[in-house]
Amino acid sequence: MPQRPDPGDAASRRAFLKDLGFGFGSIPLAALLARELSAASGPRGLPAALPRAKSVIWLFMIGGVSHVESFDPKPALNEYAGKKIAETPYRDALTSPYLANERVVAFDPNNGFIRQEVFPLQVGYRRHGESGLEISDWWPHLAARADDLCLIRSMWTEDSNHGAQLQFHTGRHRVDGFFPSIGSWVVYGLGTLNENLPQFVVMGTPVADCCGGQETHRANYLGPQYDGVPLSVNPQSPLAYAAPPEGVYREEQASEFELLRQLNALAAERYPDDEALRARMRSYELAFRMQTAVPDVVRLEEETPATQQMYGLDQPETREFGRQMLTARRLVERGVRFVQVYHGSNGGAGSWDAHSKLKAGHSKLCRQVDQPIAALLGDLKQRGLLDETLVVWATEFGRTPGSQNGDGRDHHPYGFTVWMAGGGIRGGMAHGATDELGFHAVEHRHYVTDIHATLLHQLGLDSRQLEVPGRKRLEKEHGQVIREVLA
Amino acid sequence: MNRVLTAAGLWIAAAAPLRAEVDYQRDIRPLLATKCVACHGPARQEAGLRLDAGRLVRRGSSQGAVAIPGDAEGSLLWRRVTAEAPEERMPPVSEGEPLTPDELARLREWIESGLPSPADETFLPSARDHWAYRPIHRPDLPPRQGDSALAEEHPIDRLLSRHHHDQGLNPLPPADPLTLLRRVTLDLIGLPPTPAEQEAFLSDPSPAAYERLVDDLLARPQFGERWGRHWMDVWRYSDWDGYKEELRGSQRHLWRWRDWIIESLNAGKPYDRMIVEMLAGDEIAPDDPDTLRATGFLARNYHNRNRNIWLDAAVEHTAKGFLGLTLNCARCHDHKYDPLSQTDYYAFRAIFEPHQVRTDRLPGQPDLRQDGLPRVYDADLEAPTYLYRRGDEKQPDKEHPIPPGVPSLFDLPFEIQPVALPPIARFPALAEFMEQEDLAAAEARVRQRRDEWRALQEQFASASLQAIPVQPIPRADRPPSPALALRVIPELELAARRLRVEEWALEALRLRWRADRFRYTHPEQPDSAPEEFARLAAAAAAAERAQALAVAERDLLAAVLKYRGLFQTHQETPARRTEAIQQGLREITQAEADLSKAREGMQRSDSTYTPVGASYPATSSGRRLALARWIVDPRHPLTARVAVNQVWMRHFGRPLVVNVDDFGPRTPAPPLVDLLDWLAAEFIDSGWDLKHLHRLIVTSAAYRRASTGEPDWLARNAEIDSENRYCWRAEARRLEAEVIRDSLLAIGGRLDRTLGGPDLSFTQGEVIPRRSLYFQHAYEKQMTWLVLFDAASPTECYRRSVSIVPQQALALSNSNLGRSMARACVQSGGVGAADGDDRSFIEASFRRVLCRPPEDREVEACLAFLARQQRLLADGPSLHPSGGTVKATISASSDPALRAREDLIHVLMNHNDFVTVR
Repeated sequence: MPQRPDPGDAASRRAFLKDLGFGFGSIPLAALLARELSAASGPRGLPAALPRAKSVIWLFMIGGVSHVESFDPKPALNEYAGKKIAETPYRDALTSPYLANERVVAFDPNNGFIRQEVFPLQVGYRRHGESGLEISDWWPHLAARADDLCLIRSMWTEDSNHGAQLQFHTGRHRVDGFFPSIGSWVVYGLGTLNENLPQFVVMGTPVADCCGGQETHRANYLGPQYDGVPLSVNPQSPLAYAAPPEGVYREEQASEFELLRQLNALAAERYPDDEALRARMRSYELAFRMQTAVPDVVRLEEETPATQQMYGLDQPETREFGRQMLTARRLVERGVRFVQVYHGSNGGAGSWDAHSKLKAGHSKLCRQVDQPIAALLGDLKQRGLLDETLVVWATEFGRTPGSQNGDGRDHHPYGFTVWMAGGGIRGGMAHGATDELGFHAVEHRHYVTDIHATLLHQLGLDSRQLEVPGRKRLEKEHGQVIREVLA
Repeated sequence: MNRVLTAAGLWIAAAAPLRAEVDYQRDIRPLLATKCVACHGPARQEAGLRLDAGRLVRRGSSQGAVAIPGDAEGSLLWRRVTAEAPEERMPPVSEGEPLTPDELARLREWIESGLPSPADETFLPSARDHWAYRPIHRPDLPPRQGDSALAEEHPIDRLLSRHHHDQGLNPLPPADPLTLLRRVTLDLIGLPPTPAEQEAFLSDPSPAAYERLVDDLLARPQFGERWGRHWMDVWRYSDWDGYKEELRGSQRHLWRWRDWIIESLNAGKPYDRMIVEMLAGDEIAPDDPDTLRATGFLARNYHNRNRNIWLDAAVEHTAKGFLGLTLNCARCHDHKYDPLSQTDYYAFRAIFEPHQVRTDRLPGQPDLRQDGLPRVYDADLEAPTYLYRRGDEKQPDKEHPIPPGVPSLFDLPFEIQPVALPPIARFPALAEFMEQEDLAAAEARVRQRRDEWRALQEQFASASLQAIPVQPIPRADRPPSPALALRVIPELELAARRLRVEEWALEALRLRWRADRFRYTHPEQPDSAPEEFARLAAAAAAAERAQALAVAERDLLAAVLKYRGLFQTHQETPARRTEAIQQGLREITQAEADLSKAREGMQRSDSTYTPVGASYPATSSGRRLALARWIVDPRHPLTARVAVNQVWMRHFGRPLVVNVDDFGPRTPAPPLVDLLDWLAAEFIDSGWDLKHLHRLIVTSAAYRRASTGEPDWLARNAEIDSENRYCWRAEARRLEAEVIRDSLLAIGGRLDRTLGGPDLSFTQGEVIPRRSLYFQHAYEKQMTWLVLFDAASPTECYRRSVSIVPQQALALSNSNLGRSMARACVQSGGVGAADGDDRSFIEASFRRVLCRPPEDREVEACLAFLARQQRLLADGPSLHPSGGTVKATISASSDPALRAREDLIHVLMNHNDFVTVR
């Protein structure tokens, strides 16, 4: 039986976490903890399969990253540059039945069209690593980790506008309404590994309310206890209500908590069958510990200078995202289940939304995230955490093979790339493919929830067993596990 | 036929005896229910086949037997579920997954073993016989039990007593007076009772005093706020949402509907009347802005991008909110469980098809972004409704437009009578205030321009300034226009022309108003007095032309003066200077063109003038009024049951019918169906009087029971009914988000009790001490504090969830709100004088915050705390700040003894008893 570890002792903590995830019978202790936390909901943590991963780091690029200028380069775009798609040998793309998957519900007269004139690649690309994965030159650091990446090059979605951001997280089109996000399903299914921290942490500025807003990390009908909790990398105020107003003393508050505990304990004697009372007492204990634990997480100055440098904390372009990546590692190290990090918020559709000046925009944005993400993968690996941490890099859709405004690309829901790494996913692999223009996903086509299903599978969950009575989910919400990418 | 119709309307099938080797109830019935019954059951009988009971399987389809006892291979049922070809196989591909090998094995075994099923298996003759679809009959009250103790005389208790007797339950005794007082006060007004109210009630806890208390609470304006928020949950209240300033959903100023809800509840407006006003206020009171507010219920469904989403919401939530019907499930296909067809869905939609949203202007504010009255009206009476095949809006069935209608489930009249609207509904600008305000504004502009002109005149007259002749404009392309060679003081001339514009604008406005007023107030429209109208219209049109000329003249002069000014100001670069000159010339050219157009216009003599406001159809379809009357028909079996269930749930913490928004066949009759029906009947007979219903419920012994008692007593009852479905105890409940926040403000003595008004910014919830329901509540615009405590989702919330998470503890213990209210409570003397002793302070604090006296051990703990805290705080320099940066609205007392007391109040505000109703 594992003992409750001293939270300061990293080795014993990891051993403890290992026991929790793998060696503790068939019901993770986390599920039991979750049950204690919420009297209103029972445990659901029965693993559907042997779990391979314990945590997820979910990186979401807001606006739509060009797949052809990142992880799915297409030489045909250079070959036919300036020609109409209809004049290329790949003109069938324009009459493909896949086009019918698009659901235009909010018509935008400016964006969301198939662009006819082939736009050449705005950046070079080459093969990397033993696997020889082709990656664009805007991602030098990640390219150096090519053999850890599993590229899924055959994604498709429905929404040709930025409501696709919401769709990527809930599996449902914007107009269908709001549904639990993938992170909420994970913590709903698994519960927490660290009772001193929120189990589902969100960093970066979320999706704007044009495109799904906070619903991309909310739990909807699962209940607010499964919402993502926004965390700021600022140690002063990392969490809403993490500290009392100015001027309250630590000792003063500790003494208050002590009296509160005494009074609630007396109430518990009066109401011996009141489970909610006991759950509330416990929630106060957690809250008190969270007050200390959360600021500790973002105390990045504890890290060695080498580590800080690796994440790019010393450079202005990479500092912000680097801090978030480093915090993400510290969170999964402490047992946080789901860390969701947004990049590219601009208060609207997102910075990656390159309708024009794609070259200037993408090259700058890639610089902001490339090194920090690569550092995260390397750091997780050297600490032995990559095996149990699934990293997902995603965006809502790709960009058109054709040009828009002369120097940009439009929204493209028919084919795009996301990648996964670690967590029992094969590295150095490209799965699925788009056609020669990067227009349609043609091989091993995957709707967005196939990523959800794969991720849940690696965590030992089956979304079909998580369903809530009275909330029948559609088949497309569950998705299919992408078996080919499992290590 | 060997079947019997029981009193409950259920057919009891007599059938073959059950054999041992197969368990029909465990293995077969659930299988058929999930895989087959949607199409072969009470709601629908594809091929005339029903599979919702063993004997129905044996009976077969309209074509004959589908299952032959003992012969699976020879049974059509077996062949269809095992068919290779997807188009042959059951269930159809679009309807569900094929049976698993295990399910097939069980089914086969059942057929082979002769299709056994229990002889007493019950099933509905048809879905229409579902309990909630049958008329409400008020059940007879059982005779009183034993002595005529008052509680036993209450109808609710007489009904419950029979159940308790039948179940062997022994209900708990009444709650103690303070627990009851706090419970009923929070339930009815959403605020805790003050210490004075506690004293008053303790001094006379008689039943009569309790009834007076209930009457008093129901008469307070806070009752409307408390129950307004409840109904806002059910009716999907949402303030407007949008991306930045763009309106995307709901409507600006929807708070007027919220205020209508509060006022209606306070005024005791009957529930049926409320429904009629919400669905068709514009048809029954088209000229009454107060009533029109009610249609915010429909205006809330507005969606700026997609009319289908908008109308789908209107259909879904009208059906769910008032009727507990999941009609939305029939949008893409016939309902799987309820006898509702896809056509029923679109017929219901057709009721709403003509309606649209508009914002009517209100006195004092012409800018509709600042204020206005959002309401609905019928805009297009001819708008057709098409069934969307498979619910796909790209596939409308235009061959068969669908007329408006209601589900044919109930035999109730649905009669559409078009409604002729009064002139003011057709032409809202007829409102007196609008003409007065607009003319006053136009007059003010004239005055302003006249003052400016006079000031300039005096300036030029008094100062010994010389009139400078305007030099011809230097133009490269042609000789200067003589019209521009002004020999006046140009500034003065411009002022004069500006004045002339406003004078003509005022004149034109007067004449346009006269014409429009004539046009829309004459009963037979202008036709009855064509000459008079023609004269008015011509005058208005002529004045508008003169106004246009004055505008063009002013604009040309302004352009010329602006151009001249270019030569007197420094330009940064030659390029900029050239650009500015060219731009100036373009403006002059444009102004000249406009002027000649205006001059040409002066030659016209037609009577086309600009109306002073928008006009709307003279008739409303009457469809929504017909729907409303159908819903509130006292014979409707659903309306009252659904409403009573909602009210009951919010008093008892548990509904009588668990699925509060689905009273369809998937929801079995609740154990207390007799109580539900009695209350529904009483509600209707009382004239849909909600206050009567509340009074009835909270004066029952059931409501007044304790929530806890002797462990043995609890255990004995729990063994029989652990879920308390028979109300043998009261339930401890967590307070709703709004009540927690409002209670903090009330205890702090800072609650601003102002009623109604525009929605307040959701970011100001910890600073503005108004009640929580007055803050913005919409998609992406919700107070975090409330969201943490499970506030209603603005999209849909027929029942709130209740969670217990650490973030709630952080919010209560670390928020400025909690801390400041604790300080305010002490500093304002809310718990007695500052020099009182600690023991009496503790007594008063418990009374103030928790509405109960402390126990001895609690007093001891608090005394120790006060001493400890005072010592601690006196030693300020050695203490560590907790690092928070939020400024508290109210600072801590500097006296350690007082600050310790503030901390004690703060602890009590975090006590579980504070957020709990017992």
